[in-house]
Amino acid sequence: MKEHLRAIWDYLKEISGENAYDRYLAVHTATHPGKPPMSRGEFYRARQDEKFANPGSRCP
Amino acid sequence: MNNGLRRYAVWVVVALVGALCWGMLALSRGETINAGWLLFAAIASYAIGYRFYARFIQRRVLETDDSRATPAERLNNGRDFEPMDKRVLFGHHFAAIAGAGPLVGPVLAAQMGFLPGTIWIIVGVILAGAVQDMTTLFFSMRRDGKTLGQMAREEIGPVGGAAALIAVLSIMVILLAVLALVVVLALASSPWGSFSLAMTIPIALLMGVYMRFLRPGRVLEVSVIGVALLILAIFGGGWISESSSYAGAWTFTPNQIVLALIVYGFVASVLPVWLLLAPRDYLSTFMKVGTILLLAVGIAVTLPAMHMPKTTDFAFNGHGPVFAGALFPFVFITIACGALSGFHALIASGTTPKLIQKESQVRVIGYGAMLMESFVAVMAMIAATTLDPGVYFAMNANPVLLGDTVQSAAKAVQGFGFSVDPQTLTNTAKAVGEESIIGRTGGAPTLAVGISKIFSNVLGGAAQAFWYHFAIMFEALFILTTVDAGTRVGRFMIQDLVGNVWRPFARTSWLPANLVASALIVGAWGYFLYAGVNDPLGGINQLFPLFGIANQLLAAVALAVGTTILIKMGKLRYAWVTAVPLAWDAAVTLTASWQKIFSSDPAIGFFAQRAAAVQSIQSGKLNDTLKALKAESIKDAPQILVNTTVDGVLSILFALMIIIVILDAARVWFGLIRGKEPEMSETPWQESHLDSDGNAIEREPVGAR
Repeated sequence: MKEHLRAIWDYLKEISGENAYDRYLAVHTATHPGKPPMSRGEFYRARQDEKFANPGSRCP
Repeated sequence: MNNGLRRYAVWVVVALVGALCWGMLALSRGETINAGWLLFAAIASYAIGYRFYARFIQRRVLETDDSRATPAERLNNGRDFEPMDKRVLFGHHFAAIAGAGPLVGPVLAAQMGFLPGTIWIIVGVILAGAVQDMTTLFFSMRRDGKTLGQMAREEIGPVGGAAALIAVLSIMVILLAVLALVVVLALASSPWGSFSLAMTIPIALLMGVYMRFLRPGRVLEVSVIGVALLILAIFGGGWISESSSYAGAWTFTPNQIVLALIVYGFVASVLPVWLLLAPRDYLSTFMKVGTILLLAVGIAVTLPAMHMPKTTDFAFNGHGPVFAGALFPFVFITIACGALSGFHALIASGTTPKLIQKESQVRVIGYGAMLMESFVAVMAMIAATTLDPGVYFAMNANPVLLGDTVQSAAKAVQGFGFSVDPQTLTNTAKAVGEESIIGRTGGAPTLAVGISKIFSNVLGGAAQAFWYHFAIMFEALFILTTVDAGTRVGRFMIQDLVGNVWRPFARTSWLPANLVASALIVGAWGYFLYAGVNDPLGGINQLFPLFGIANQLLAAVALAVGTTILIKMGKLRYAWVTAVPLAWDAAVTLTASWQKIFSSDPAIGFFAQRAAAVQSIQSGKLNDTLKALKAESIKDAPQILVNTTVDGVLSILFALMIIIVILDAARVWFGLIRGKEPEMSETPWQESHLDSDGNAIEREPVGAR
């Protein structure tokens, strides 16, 4: 039971973008070593602006 | 061998269960039939479609190649290109394609009985809708996430490409107007609904500030807060509607709500996204997915009986009071998103293909998510048909046919060939906490009554009024989110178009351009919304077919692009996979357009209505045709003249676009078949370094190029 709840929680975190920053950090350190990464706040603000700069469409 | 045999046996059982359920539905003779048959017929059909047809498309037609690196892997930047876990991407993709369309369309189509709509929802998704989504996703992925418009231009040519662009923009306008119209019809003279929906604005502002500055990226936390506040707002609405001093202040006429929506749409398009659009997006996604899950559980637990007959006379005589026109082609136009939706091609190209880990996953994400969408449409059909048909028609028939009182509505329903007790209409309205349910068109209120019945039955019959407003709120919330986002998309398109002529206008951050383009797009849909609300011949019945035709037109563009690419890939032998749905879609859409333009039946043809209006204006009094359409006075005639002219011209425009795109595509096909060298814009093959779970196989930094 506890494992299932844990899995659901992880899935929610993943799907809502809550842990997007952690993954960004991993990619950043791998690809741009030595360059300081964005802070959490900066990252989410940049991501939000980018996502909605071209919001695409959605189904009615 | 034994194992293979067992697997074979499982699929035989699934097929038999599906066949049995379909048989029960088709042969039902009784007053009611249990929704369980429909539920299992759908699930068995989806399972077979996914296991056999989708697999055939994946392996034989598209030949997905998991050793080939996807754009997400090659161009990984941790933001828009990023290999995403397939379960997570499935959720994102589904949330993006699931909207109000699959909920509203089946409710309207239910006037022809539950069977015609249901067959198209299920057969259509397996053979057309899911195929379109999956192939478009695949082709866009092979082109680094190019949009449908770009692919149309590159694969077909500039003429087809331009037609596709104009199609997308005009469809956007009609879409936004129809969706906003659904909200207006659901909220008019409902203080409860108006209050709870208005409260979503301060809630969104609060969430926006919280997410931007207080706790950036804590999406789950802020969503929990938002949903809690939303529930409070629904309770607050109940309190308002009971209160003698506030109920009046929160009761609005349709035109007041139209004005509010237009102002809101403009402000939302101009404001920065983080303040309003982004938090609304989270809120409505959570509400949407949550409510759909609740509904699935509710239907599975209660297995309600469906009261609507399997077919009604309106399927064949074309004189339905909800919308006019016979089964072919109008049921296919009306169902729209649940079976085949062109809008999905916009999402399946652009956003999702940049996130796919492995090529073979286009099957679960493209085809699978569309099956889910279709299942939502099936549930909407169940919810609508669990209502007493008399109540259904009293809510959905064109209001001009129903009159204002429960007595006149009951009499009108009798005229349609069904019966309802006036007292039942009063009681139903009371149970959901509304003044009246007569002529509450647009689909949303009907669906909300159905959902509230199912939910309150799970709880032993309690709190129907709360669940009704919960459902209204959930529909209105995500329709408004679509209106926000769609207005912004439209604004960018206009800025882009004008930018071709005058560069500075294309800069999205330039305030004057922002204001002008926002005003243009809001003005365009606002016009149709206003005209729809005040249409003397009823609004939703006039505009919804246009919306349906527009949506199917976009699907024709996607399928034409798909067929072209298949032929270019040397897959002429399998081109029928997209060409047959295209032919069907073209037949449906062009027949519907033909009837809307040329039909001499004034219930259907825009120009027949227009001619009647012209004649009435000339003679100075309403002629018999307009009287038969229930126009009230000669003062309405000029408005009828304008509306029918605009709607008729739009129908012609849409039909022309379809013809242009298909002819231009056919020109390319015949060139290729005659042996012209295909020009492919596919990104060349590169080896993938990810295993099927998305982990790097070699110790090479991911994303390094």
